Amino acid sequence: MRLNEYRILWVLVFFDLPTETKKERSIASKFRKEILRDGFAMFQFSIYLRHSSSRENADVHINRVKRLLPEKGHIGIMTVTDKQFGMMELFYGKKEKVLPDTPQQLELF
Amino acid sequence: MIKRTLHFSNPAYLSLQQNQLSIDLPHLKSLGEKESRKLVPIEDIGIIILDNQQITITHGCIAALLSNNAAIITCNKSRHPTGMMLPIDGHNTQSERFRYQIDASQPLKKQLWQQTVQAKILNQAAILFNRDIPCKNMIHWAKSVRSGDPDNYEGRAAVYYWKNVFPEKIDFFRGRDGDPPNNLLNYGYAILRAIVARGLVCSGLLPTLGIHHRNKYNAYCLADDIMEPYRPYVDEIVLGIIDRGENFLELGKDIKTQLLGIATVDVQFEKNRSPLLVGLQTTTSSLAKCYEGTIRRINYPIMKNFETKRGSGFDESED
Repeated sequence: MRLNEYRILWVLVFFDLPTETKKERSIASKFRKEILRDGFAMFQFSIYLRHSSSRENADVHINRVKRLLPEKGHIGIMTVTDKQFGMMELFYGKKEKVLPDTPQQLELF
Repeated sequence: MIKRTLHFSNPAYLSLQQNQLSIDLPHLKSLGEKESRKLVPIEDIGIIILDNQQITITHGCIAALLSNNAAIITCNKSRHPTGMMLPIDGHNTQSERFRYQIDASQPLKKQLWQQTVQAKILNQAAILFNRDIPCKNMIHWAKSVRSGDPDNYEGRAAVYYWKNVFPEKIDFFRGRDGDPPNNLLNYGYAILRAIVARGLVCSGLLPTLGIHHRNKYNAYCLADDIMEPYRPYVDEIVLGIIDRGENFLELGKDIKTQLLGIATVDVQFEKNRSPLLVGLQTTTSSLAKCYEGTIRRINYPIMKNFETKRGSGFDESED
């Protein structure tokens, strides 16, 4: 299979940006907005993720995030396969939560 | 990278939010906010099919989809594709490519049509071969196609193919308004046509100006030309549905899913293999180069190699 759980990647972006001054806050919110525009979705506060159907595609988005990096701040970028992502355990309080669905090539709404 | 296909058969409100396609599904409202809303990055979308009369789509959304080279297909009340919308500006050297295409000489067009017919007949033969139906005559016809196909081997092959390809219990007559499974074929071809038209536009070609089809009422002549060798891939899916004994009298959701899967079917080229949606762009960009005069062959996928050797009069064009 060309599209499978070992090839599909999730790109995770973790960030801590300074928000002391008004200017810093504006830079931080700009960074957040830009990665949203690139198709990342909020997973937790300051953890964003995006689905990529291949390594090449993931690289495109990683490079875009790198170009958006603000002057100050602590940012991590990580990729995991869909298989690894699917093994994550998620909780909301003590209640277990379902993971976000992996987007399929064909989706019927 | 393979792009995504989105098919909407329920009421939906489509709009743009942070460059993402925001999908609002009112029929899922009762499940809560989270389930009824979805975001899909516009740049991941290849084809979007609007198959419900109660879909609202904003203009910003249409513009963003088109500027990303997505094809938008609309369906009529009977849920059959009726129209498609493609970008004007699909390629950076658009007008140069248009000019090459318009200036293409008659002999070149005839040679391209010869290659197209050969590829189509060979792929049809491959389908017959896989079903243990005699196909030697098809291979012979494919080899005999001359520039421009003046002997109409395409038609001859099609008659033989459609007469034999379906199981005997199905009394089949291929026609646009014919009985099932014609409905499945028509649906599959309509989706395929949209994929082909999208590929052509992405390669900077005008889908209107065909190499063989020239019906003055047809807006997608070139798409109809180029899709010919790809049709057997749809046939293969339809045959699979029939062989499994599924009820094909109506176009159910399950059957539609299988037919829409055409975008991900693997197609084999001489050197590499790729999903049809991606492979088509190999074909259309090779066609653009043919118009430009840098290469002489369109790169069509082959379903089975019948060991037709190069230089045996099969691969070479005749004039």
